[in-house]
Amino acid sequence: MNEKEFEKLLLSVQKPGRYSGGELNSVVKDKEKVKIRFAFCFPDTYEIGMSHLGMKILYSQFNEREDIWCERVFAPWVDFEVLMREKGIPLFALESRDSIKDFDFIGFTLQYELCYTNLLNMLDLAGLPLKSADRPSLSPLVVAGGPCCCNPEPLADFVDLFFLGEGEEVDLEVIDLYREFKEKGAGKEEFLRAAAKIEGVYVPSLYDIEYFEDGRIKSVTPKDGAPAKIRKRIMRDMDSSYYPDRFVVPFIEIVHDRAVQELFRGCIRGCRFCQAGFIYRPVREKSADTVNRQAKALCENTGYDEISLSSLSTSDYTCLEPLLNKMLLWTEPQSISLSLPSLRVDNFSAELLGKINHIRKSGLTFAPEAGTQRLRDVINKNVTEEEIFRTCKTAFEGGYTAVKLYFMLGLPTETDEDLKGITDLGRRIIDLYYSLENRPVGKSPSVSVSVSTFVPKPFTPFQFEPQIEKEEIERRQNVLKYSNTCRKVNISWHDSSVSFLEGAFARGDRRLCAVLEAAFKKGCKFDGWNECFNLQKWLEAFDENGIDPLFYSARKRDFDEINPWDHLDFGVTKDFLIRENKKAHSAKITPNCREKCAACGAACFGEGVCFEKR
Amino acid sequence: MKNVRLFYTKKGRMKFLSQLDINRLMTRVIRRSGLPVWYTEGFNRHIYINYAVPLSLGFEGEYEIMDIRLTDDAFEYEEALSRLNSAAPEGIRFLRAVDPVLPTKDIAFAEYEIAFESGNVFLYPALEKFLSSDSVICIKKDKKGRLKEFDIIPKIKSTDFSGDKPRLILSAGNEGNLNPAMVLSAFFEKTETAPVFYTVRRLMLFDAGLKPFV
Ligand code: SF4
Repeated sequence: MNEKEFEKLLLSVQKPGRYSGGELNSVVKDKEKVKIRFAFCFPDTYEIGMSHLGMKILYSQFNEREDIWCERVFAPWVDFEVLMREKGIPLFALESRDSIKDFDFIGFTLQYELCYTNLLNMLDLAGLPLKSADRPSLSPLVVAGGPCCCNPEPLADFVDLFFLGEGEEVDLEVIDLYREFKEKGAGKEEFLRAAAKIEGVYVPSLYDIEYFEDGRIKSVTPKDGAPAKIRKRIMRDMDSSYYPDRFVVPFIEIVHDRAVQELFRGCIRGCRFCQAGFIYRPVREKSADTVNRQAKALCENTGYDEISLSSLSTSDYTCLEPLLNKMLLWTEPQSISLSLPSLRVDNFSAELLGKINHIRKSGLTFAPEAGTQRLRDVINKNVTEEEIFRTCKTAFEGGYTAVKLYFMLGLPTETDEDLKGITDLGRRIIDLYYSLENRPVGKSPSVSVSVSTFVPKPFTPFQFEPQIEKEEIERRQNVLKYSNTCRKVNISWHDSSVSFLEGAFARGDRRLCAVLEAAFKKGCKFDGWNECFNLQKWLEAFDENGIDPLFYSARKRDFDEINPWDHLDFGVTKDFLIRENKKAHSAKITPNCREKCAACGAACFGEGVCFEKR
Repeated sequence: MKNVRLFYTKKGRMKFLSQLDINRLMTRVIRRSGLPVWYTEGFNRHIYINYAVPLSLGFEGEYEIMDIRLTDDAFEYEEALSRLNSAAPEGIRFLRAVDPVLPTKDIAFAEYEIAFESGNVFLYPALEKFLSSDSVICIKKDKKGRLKEFDIIPKIKSTDFSGDKPRLILSAGNEGNLNPAMVLSAFFEKTETAPVFYTVRRLMLFDAGLKPFV
């Protein structure tokens, strides 16, 4: 399509900047001079995908190689999709506007289960058959990485190969192998068999699954020499790991429109509901010097006036104070603001607060996750009420008036008392405010409580737990609502039917591929978006395939049941998860990695916090 | 400290940017260029930039103006331009940097070039005839959001249909700005013509005496 036609189309859709390309630091190469063309696909909108750090890292890293041209592709919003289908425009890469159908790799990053229909839709828009088996030639190869790959089974029929763990090394190893096979004219099957031998590569078609009559998995059998266990990959030394010195800077506003610098990967905490806390183990830090140097380069090359220090739990970074002191030397004179997401309540010092405070006054957010100490012990979120109050007091006295609290509903062992504990905590924070002599003058406090529905995830101690059903979710939401008597406490929650779908896919097996395909054919897409999610169509898709979603989500699983992800190895052992599950049920906490090693299994990678002196 | 007026073009892919996007972009371009610019004081400090007349999403501009302040009075304009240009994306070109002569409120008119697709150029004579009407009453929201009737004809300073593409000189600036999109939608509506795709390029900004604004 010529430029004029394209412009005309873009001018008739919302936010044309999503599709126009040409952003600063985007990489354009001569296609005749590269050997590998890689379409890096994010199965959601531009604004969400462009905010994602993993994509930025791999995009830059791939493009450093002369023989690879990596381009970005996002899910077109529904208005543009209609036009694309009407005019026969295939899904294209933003940099070259070439159809991705002829690329060597189509790589998806899977950040959440609710994007799976978008993956199918994007393959379809590219003009490709959905199923791996219906794409016999070596290229394009459809690959995927990201956290959802810790249970990729619901996508097993569609994706040729999954990357487990961190992609910086394994992705390039696979690309190199592909190049070799392509040059010698080898076929797809031969390639996949060879690729399966690379650590961190999972080729689902090389595994046969047998089921019991009741639907549980009986066995998982590798074939053609594929490994019985596939271990994820990690970057061992964060200081020498690749990190981009520039990001593509979007023209339109995106969700996280700022420079991002990683402090460390993994988390020492082990909150039992949190998948990220387990699958990214062990903790590996970057040194303060590296962080500072990389952050500075990023700001210089992007022109961003805000930099966010990212990690799962920022205040656990061992050199936070020295780092902040280093960074403030150049951020302050240049009016660059620092943001520190994921600060925890329990080690949030007054001094630290002061440092952020004089940079930017934004709201205070805490995530106690559960309303009572008992339930917080169950989930191993070792935040005490005393600590919450102490922090709020410091914050209020420092001029803050708004507090945002995050909780989960439907946690294992949760009772109505725990729910009432949530509103009670909110009310007592308000009371605390008014009890302070030196509270901000002439202002009114507010506590906003955001409650999400708990979804049990693979590789967490709660992977065995049933997810509560829709009616029960709604009943508990009502308990919460009616227990709130304070007008300054505001409660909001998410739709319960979406978490039901998320629950089924999080712990689903490959029989869900048929359901997914059926839902896609009925028009399901952007399931994470309220305006697009259609529960009815999903229920029909399950029904037509004779599959009960509750089998995956609402069933308690025995410890010795074979889970769809048990042949994947993320370091943490099943024994450890079982131990943690039992401790949860007796409300016993587990100390964090720095206090005492819980022998989770992640020490097998030979790096990180497991080998720190305690 | 001194005020500096920058003239730039907004073309190609940059037409997809709204004025808000342009502002975000310019802030980053200036930061990357490392120019010694002045930041506003106060709580939420940001680079001082004043845009003469915002340009709509979808339009190209050949004579766009923004004013900034340099904290170093001796800073060479040539150097400023070359730094800005190397930090700017394709489609944004900084052409000139000058000491401002007039305040931006003195902008009175803007010249636009309108282009229909080749299949629709036969509509130009109808447009020309339409624009020579005595009055064309349109409805527009005023600043308070109330609907208000107004006549667009007095705001059309002149038209030129002699070239391949029509050119219109319309009132511009804070008071009485007339957007060419409004002129065209009035044309389609009042002449009962099915709306066709068109592009707009702003060629020039003028002061009240129709001299190029500087
Ligand atoms: S092995 Fe020990 S220190 Fe290492 S991640 Fe597991 S619990 Fe933490």
